[in-house]
Amino acid sequence: MSSHYEAPFREPLIIGEKSFHDISVDVGTPIFGKASKSWWVAFSIALVAFLWGIGCIVYTVSTGIGVWGLNKTVEWAWDITNFVWWVGIGHAGTLISAVLLLFRQKWRMAVNRSAEAMTIFAVIQAGLFPIIHMGRPWLAYWVLPIPNQFGSLWVNFNSPLLWDVFAISTYLSVSLVFWWTGLLPDFAMLRDRSTKPFQKKIYTLLSFGWTGRVKDWQRFEEVSLVLAGLATPLVLSVHTIVSFDFATSVVPGWHSTIYPPYFVAGAIFSGFAMVQTLLIVMRKVCNLENYITILHIEYMNKVILLTGGIVATAYFTEFFIGWYSGSPYENYTYLSFGAATGPYWWAFWALLTCNFFVPLTLWVKKLRRNVMWTFFVALVINIGMWFERFDIIVIDLSKGRIPSGWAMFQPTFVDIGTFIGTIGFFFVLFLLYARTFPVIAQAEVKTILKSSGQRYKRLREAGTSLEGTATDERTSAAQSTKQLEAKKDDKAAKVNDLLGVLGSFDSTTQKEDDLKKVSGIGPKMEQVLNSIGIFTFIQVSKMTKKEYDLLDSITGSFPGRAERDDWSGQAKKLIN
Amino acid sequence: MSSNKKYWKSVEELNENSSIVEALKQNEFVEEIPTDKFLGNKDALESSSTTRRDFLKYVGFSTAAATLASCEGPVIKSIPYVIQPQEIIPGVANYYATAIADGYDFASVLVKTREGRPIKIEKNSLAPTNGGANARVNASVLGLYDSLRVQNPRKEGNTVSWDALDAEVTQKLTTLKDSGKDIVLLTQTFASPSTSRLIEEFKNKYGNVQHVVYDAVSESTALDAYQAKYGERALANYDFSKAMTVVSIGADFLGDWQGGGFDSGYSKARIPNQGKMSRHIQFESNMSLTGANADKRVPLTPSQQKVALAKLYSYVVGGSVSGSLPEQIEDAVKKAASQLKKAGSDGLVVTGIQDVNAQTVALEINEYLNSKAFDKSTPILTRQGSDKDVMTLVANMKAGKVGALIMCGVNPLYTLPNASDFSEGLKNTDLSVAFSMKEDETSSESQFIAATPHYLESWGDVEFKKGHYALMQPTIRPLFNTRQFQESLLKWTGNDVSYHDYIKDTWGTSILNGSSFNQALHDGVFVASNDAETITDAKKTEVSAIKTPDAEVVEATSGDAAKALASSVKPSAFELTLYTKIGMGDGQQANNPWLQEFPDPITRTSWDNYLTVSKSDADTLGLVNTHVSNGALNGSYVNVTVNGATIKAPVIIQPGQAKGSVGLALGYGKSKGLKTEMQTGVNAYALYQGFNTIQSVTLEGAAGEHEFACVQLQNTMAGRDDIIKETTLEIFNSEDKEHWNMVPVTDYDHNEISVREKNADIWESFDTKIGPYFNLSIDLNACTGCGACVIACHSENNVPVVGKREVRKFRDMHWLRIDRYYSSADTFKQEQKDLEELGTFELYTKIENASMENPEVAFQPVMCQHCNHAPCETVCPVAAISHGRQGQNEMVYNRCVGTRYCANNCPYKVRRFNWFLYSENDEFDYYMNDDLGRMVLNPDVVVRSRGVMEKCSLCIQKTQKTILDAKRDGRVIKDGEFQTACSAACNNGAMVFGDVNIENAKINELLADDRMYHLLESVGTKPNVMYQIKVKNTTES
Repeated sequence: MSSHYEAPFREPLIIGEKSFHDISVDVGTPIFGKASKSWWVAFSIALVAFLWGIGCIVYTVSTGIGVWGLNKTVEWAWDITNFVWWVGIGHAGTLISAVLLLFRQKWRMAVNRSAEAMTIFAVIQAGLFPIIHMGRPWLAYWVLPIPNQFGSLWVNFNSPLLWDVFAISTYLSVSLVFWWTGLLPDFAMLRDRSTKPFQKKIYTLLSFGWTGRVKDWQRFEEVSLVLAGLATPLVLSVHTIVSFDFATSVVPGWHSTIYPPYFVAGAIFSGFAMVQTLLIVMRKVCNLENYITILHIEYMNKVILLTGGIVATAYFTEFFIGWYSGSPYENYTYLSFGAATGPYWWAFWALLTCNFFVPLTLWVKKLRRNVMWTFFVALVINIGMWFERFDIIVIDLSKGRIPSGWAMFQPTFVDIGTFIGTIGFFFVLFLLYARTFPVIAQAEVKTILKSSGQRYKRLREAGTSLEGTATDERTSAAQSTKQLEAKKDDKAAKVNDLLGVLGSFDSTTQKEDDLKKVSGIGPKMEQVLNSIGIFTFIQVSKMTKKEYDLLDSITGSFPGRAERDDWSGQAKKLIN
Repeated sequence: MSSNKKYWKSVEELNENSSIVEALKQNEFVEEIPTDKFLGNKDALESSSTTRRDFLKYVGFSTAAATLASCEGPVIKSIPYVIQPQEIIPGVANYYATAIADGYDFASVLVKTREGRPIKIEKNSLAPTNGGANARVNASVLGLYDSLRVQNPRKEGNTVSWDALDAEVTQKLTTLKDSGKDIVLLTQTFASPSTSRLIEEFKNKYGNVQHVVYDAVSESTALDAYQAKYGERALANYDFSKAMTVVSIGADFLGDWQGGGFDSGYSKARIPNQGKMSRHIQFESNMSLTGANADKRVPLTPSQQKVALAKLYSYVVGGSVSGSLPEQIEDAVKKAASQLKKAGSDGLVVTGIQDVNAQTVALEINEYLNSKAFDKSTPILTRQGSDKDVMTLVANMKAGKVGALIMCGVNPLYTLPNASDFSEGLKNTDLSVAFSMKEDETSSESQFIAATPHYLESWGDVEFKKGHYALMQPTIRPLFNTRQFQESLLKWTGNDVSYHDYIKDTWGTSILNGSSFNQALHDGVFVASNDAETITDAKKTEVSAIKTPDAEVVEATSGDAAKALASSVKPSAFELTLYTKIGMGDGQQANNPWLQEFPDPITRTSWDNYLTVSKSDADTLGLVNTHVSNGALNGSYVNVTVNGATIKAPVIIQPGQAKGSVGLALGYGKSKGLKTEMQTGVNAYALYQGFNTIQSVTLEGAAGEHEFACVQLQNTMAGRDDIIKETTLEIFNSEDKEHWNMVPVTDYDHNEISVREKNADIWESFDTKIGPYFNLSIDLNACTGCGACVIACHSENNVPVVGKREVRKFRDMHWLRIDRYYSSADTFKQEQKDLEELGTFELYTKIENASMENPEVAFQPVMCQHCNHAPCETVCPVAAISHGRQGQNEMVYNRCVGTRYCANNCPYKVRRFNWFLYSENDEFDYYMNDDLGRMVLNPDVVVRSRGVMEKCSLCIQKTQKTILDAKRDGRVIKDGEFQTACSAACNNGAMVFGDVNIENAKINELLADDRMYHLLESVGTKPNVMYQIKVKNTTES
């Protein structure tokens, strides 16, 4: 990972004059510092919502599913909508951490920790719904293939719901392991920096005895790669399997071969939207603007554009094929003329507006890099993706094959309360996470600091040696800048000395020579020389041993080469 | 059956000389158990080295074991019989034939009892007449276990003993004997020979006794007309199976018209047989069940009906009448007349107009046609009420001329339009005794409530039709301290015999004519033998011979009847037709939750009555029906005024309702003697003035919105052709079946193949050849939509009642429903065509909204289709639903965790989820929450807990019983033995259930029938339930 080279014209991934130490400090601040007032406000609201949700769930389980608004036609509504929505949100985390890891997308490092946390918390919310939506949730363990004394009593491997059980539990466990593995060096960092004994003890336990030996790092990287390899198929499989809940059925509108890829794209679409929503707030609250930059936001917007495009294509395909089939049963599917003009017209148009029209604005670069607009679009997509699942489930069920059964669905306060409760639960977990976990994968970010950090990029561009820059002595950004200025001044003096001997180049009277004709000067060196102010053979021909040394000390590269190649001799020949 | 089988315990037994076998005969164990070694030596025992720790271990273990062993579920104690009744075997049902005669429903039925409890009513197939049980009769068993029954005789609200009541009443009656005041018996129609005799005796004893017969829903005019013409106070008996052309003018003869029970005959003639089926033309104002089944339905107002009937008379019989009709109706009448004339004696005219002239005209036309369907030898006796007598009685009561009023089976304070007059009169009456099962409007105002038993606890006899008798016997000991009316009359007349003996005596002397009483009791029915019939016939001929001149006189004046009818028409802005719903009848079973929840076959609305209004009138009056966002139906209120009496009723806009007419059902709006949940609807009897179902009314919109509980909101099939298939007789007779019963096709190898072909199927099929394999066929031609099957299913399978609030949320639990569709265009064919021709971006409203003018109507009973490739089975994660060897989808309630995926994936939407605990839950105060109500539960079917899915099982408990019975008897099961509750309840032969592995079974015939199709066949579910295409006889001539 450390062998990373990043082209200079790329925008830096870490801005601000960050040093390695700064990263440790920045990541540790929310944990070692006191919680802000806004955190407490947010946490209280989330907790109240969570407790309300628990109340609704207890009411549901003790009284019966009848307290929801379901009926004999629409037997799933908010429950499964919420389930699929939360699972979908959970997709960005794995995509960011696993797929982008394999594709060596370094920008993932700033966002992957939180995205993974979000994944896990979202999957927990998702997992709640299949259990509480059961008529007899206390028997939920029956969906597990547990050996029992009844012999033939076994689960039904034909059922997509059973596949869901496996998919979700696998996803949750792999995500959790992957997340934890990545956390080890960061927990160790917190352990080392912690001063309170209890806190130190907790982080010692959490870091699993990480010492930072080379062997630790080697194993860490190997495990990360293996887990990434394991998790990558899960990105595709989990939502594929969730889509099977619908695609393998015979319900018009559900029974659709396009569902698996369409659902996966939709999941990533919604997952990134949720990452945006969370991180835009978090970078502000936790002062992480230097790590989660506009560039990160733009990158994620691009993923949203791509997956949103796939989703939109799927929408139009669904609409077209439904119409083209000529089957009267397809007249009322969630993407059909019947739905657009029927009693659920508002849900239909909410879906198209939120998931198609609004995200289109991200094609404009200015809007793509606008934090407020991005936040708005992300929120809209979150809503839109909820409507997508609502539409699929409720609109399709509401007008099934037998018209006598056509019915609509109206949520009760319990439906709504349970959903709000899971949002509360999610934020309770996320806010606690933000106060106790390293929210940036600092160990990983440090690996790209030299290649992608703004400060180092600038240093490299300036041609300054990076030697020693990483081991600053507890400096602040301001001090290091001063030193840099000092060095810069030093360099400028040398350039002056050199040009005093060689004579300066006047572009109005003189003509540039092709210095590359001198053997030993390549295009790069020509640029370097040009940057110093050497453009002509005459200037080069004036160089002696003293000037050669001076040049070497300015450029810092290929010491002694100019002398060996006898640039002045060659230049003299070239003048003639 | 005793058995000599010997069960061997080990191979050792084969060895005759085995010592072990010998040893085992004597001892429990082969070897001596060395107990002595262990316990015998006291000294050794003393010095045994059980350590303290070991001791504690033993103590600990035994305590734990004892504790665990004592952990058991709650023990429910049952008391065994001290002497077991011979006929009761626990777990085996007994059947008794009896009859219901509650004044409105008269039927000979079979009662299923389990462990002494009646739990279900079935039709009595031995009965040649009135053997069919309609929805109300099926539901009547629940009335036995009604928790609001009066459990003791009461005097002014306090419990008294029968002795005290008898003493007071007889004393009063005796004093009245000479007071000059009348003693009046105000009763329902009993149609009971024994009761008639008894009342005669009572009259003889007290002298000044009047017997007034009161039918809440009166057929007085028809009785009067029949009496005038044929000299008997009875109703004309029509056998619709013999009528090939039926013209009905306002007669809901598939409903409760003139006592009902005509539907099975009708259905027989509706099944196309050798290219022939009956033709039915209906002229009516409300959309009735009958009109919905008609080949041609003409909506017209009641006053137009009168003109139409008069004109029909003039076209068929001759003469001319005044009055004019709109051209279209005039044309329809002409065509009907010409068809009737063509049909000749195959024709039949019936009318429901409550007018003596109208009834006379109908009788005359039938007479003229010499209609084969008109059976004059067996007139119907189940309505005897006389409006005139009742009105006179009320006047007399008010005038204080009535000394004692003894009521039985009537509730005049609820059913009389002038109830306040009656109430006033009741106060002027010295003695009032109400025989009643409830503290209802009338009994609670009477001095005495004589608590009566339910008919399942009573003795009785009925003469449904002349010569057709039935016996009523108790099927359970009276649950409460009750005594039936007749028993009391016997007591009050000083007769010591029991009513049972009295009936026996009556029958022995005047009915049985030497036949066995026990046989009659066993069969439940008795038909007077041929001799007797000839005697009756002879008498009849005599009578008619005498009457002939009279009849001619009537006939001579009868052209006048038609003329009088035509000229009696008084036009008014709105005409109200009061009707009865097949689910509620006259309202005496209003406290029956099964019937309250039973959706009306036409409006599909339960728990209510309502004013049906035509669309154009609703628009004029600004009345609306709206769907709220959860899909429930709301409607405006309207004030309905008849002669100053106003009631506020909710409105349902009824497709097919004749413009200028409105309809309202009787039997609702009861306020006393029933649970709060059951107090639904408005009391339309207040508008039933002069006992006429037709009233001119004024309507005025009222504020507010009514909440309906409607189980079907989408009224059309939205142009889909895979649901109810229909064709016309003409096409049916002339075209190949591929033309009118197209099998859906699918694509295979770039060719279109029928979905029934093997290649269209990706699944392995089940082996259907071992053991029985069940199929159910539903003939859409024979099904009238009456709903007897719905209640039978409810009763057989312990289907819970969920109440109005839940039905409104679309959560009814009916395992069997009867879908009703209106066409969006004039016909269903046109609707399908409309859909095909619909532009891409044209709204679907054209095919979604029912035609309001006069839509075609179709019914379709739908229960679980028991698919061979069932979508529900594959999706259940815990395999709680699986396919049985006998063709059923077997729902394993215990295994169900309630994901509801199966219900979502069911294309037929027949699965029902237990949203709540419906039993033993006071939130659902219907019948399953009290011990009395739960006695009706069928012990063979589990009561489902909350959170599980349930559905039709094809009555697996019944089929299994049949199999086990045959197995026990060692015989082969015959065709027809297998029945489901619905197929057994169907009076019309629409549902046929059977085992396809029985050769030549009727079900195989139906399976191979040209009309057979499967619901949504294109989905490929391969159901075991099939339908027979509906054929309509649209031929005009």
